[in-house]
Formats: sequence, C-alpha cells, structure tokens
Amino acid sequence: MTMEDDRLSETFAALANSTRRAILARLARGEATVNELAEPFEMTLPAISKHIKALERAGLVVRGQRAQYRPCALDAAPLEEVSTWAEQYRPVWEGRFDRMDDYLRRLRPQRKTGEHDG
Amino acid sequence: MADDNDSQDAVRIERSFDAPVDLIWQMWTDPEHFAAWYGPDGATIPVARMDVRVGGTRLVCMEMQTPNGPMRMWFTGGYREVVENERLVYTESMSDENGNVMTPSDMNMPEEHPTTTEIRVELENVGGRTKMVMTHAGIPSDSPGAAGWTMAFDKLAVRVEAHSNL
Repeated sequence: MTMEDDRLSETFAALANSTRRAILARLARGEATVNELAEPFEMTLPAISKHIKALERAGLVVRGQRAQYRPCALDAAPLEEVSTWAEQYRPVWEGRFDRMDDYLRRLRPQRKTGEHDG
Repeated sequence: MADDNDSQDAVRIERSFDAPVDLIWQMWTDPEHFAAWYGPDGATIPVARMDVRVGGTRLVCMEMQTPNGPMRMWFTGGYREVVENERLVYTESMSDENGNVMTPSDMNMPEEHPTTTEIRVELENVGGRTKMVMTHAGIPSDSPGAAGWTMAFDKLAVRVEAHSNL
C-alpha cells in the first residue's frame, strides 16, 4: 500500500460514520466549538470528542489555537482526494493489465503446442 | 450526470494486447486465467467462482499477506451483459465468503454508502491483436438499491467548497 492509499483509507474510515459526516456538514457552515458540535446529538462530550479526534487524524478537522475553546474548523483537502477516487484506482488496474501482459507472454509457448483446455 | 461512463467517478483504460480476442475473453471469464493476473502484487486469488451469463453471479476472494497473517477480502457481483469475445459487464460489491453483500448498515455506514461498482470490458480484434477498453465506475445514485458512494463524497466535497468560498 502506498502512502496515498493509506491516507485515502483514513479519510474513508473517518467518513464512514453518520455522526462524523454530520459534524463535517455543520463545520461546512463555519467553525464551531466542541460544545456547539455536540448540541444536535444525544451523545456525551467525550463521545463527540472521540469523533472529532478521528476527523483530526484524517486531516479533515483542524483545531484553532487562539481561544481556550479551540474551535474546530474544516479542512477540505482530504475530501478533494476522495473525489478523485477514480484516479487513485487507475494505477491498480494499470498494474493488473501489466500482469495480464506478462501472463500472456508466459502462455505463448504453451499455445503453440496446443490450445488452452479451459 | 446521466452517463456514468462519462463521469469523473469512472476509470477508463484502453490497452492493446498481443493476443487474440478469445484469449483475452478467457482472461476475464476463466477462473484459472483470471486468478493469474487479477490480484495485486503479493496477493493471491484462492477463490474465483464465475457463472458467466446474464444474471449469473460471481464470487472472488483476494488474499493478502499482512504482518498479522493472511487477510481475506471477498467480492461478489452479477453479470449484466455477456457477449462472448466482445463485451462483458459485471457489478462488484464487497461481501462475505458466502457472497452476501455487505450492506451499509453491516459496515456501520450511512444508507447512501453502498460500495457497488460496475466493470465494463469491451474487446475488439485489430489485426490479430486485441484492443481492450475497461471502464470501472461507481453506480449512479438513481440505480435501484445502489447509490454511488463516490458521488456521495463528491456531493459533500462540492458543498464544502461552496461554503468555504463564502
């Protein structure tokens, strides 16, 4: 796995949760404190903090330094990577077709002596 | 976007192989051949079951070696178009070993997240060689029972962009 793959997996893992997606949707409207983010959910603050930490690890949320409340803000950069999922997947297929090419080459001497019995 | 093959969620790869079309067809439809090239480096395909006819199902297992031992991933799907030596279209979803599709709720994901994609392979004989066009696309969200998972993320990304420009 390449580092980009790892990063993408992290982003997907972070997004694969409805609470975290709701937090991101809220942050898309502007920064908010943990208390504000917790309001719409029937969850304890530690539970919400855990979700926010997961989003931070994925680079989707950054915490401000200036206030003691350390408001959360959205960083959309990892989402842009996700939106080019197709381009991330291209090298996987290219690798497969390289191997198909190699495999066809290995099959060739066999094919001269007789058809594949598949 | 109406045509998923034109969407940015699709991977489209065109290749030319020095082999006749019937052999390239077997690369996709004969489990033994398929297993020989499909797995990523370091992975094997211990199981490849393919009922290659429209409506037939497929089940593929990919095994990877990890520091914690072998890890198995299962993929299932159905054949949508089967035109021998010309066109093969099948779907792919993550599943368990019995081919039960992992639904979003199984994976603790919100409803709009199914990971179903469609693989389309088109073959053409060009002077004894084979031209192959492969398209791998997320299934659009208006397909019954299968929303485009990448599209769901795209929508979120677009929304985020719109807001950050305010």
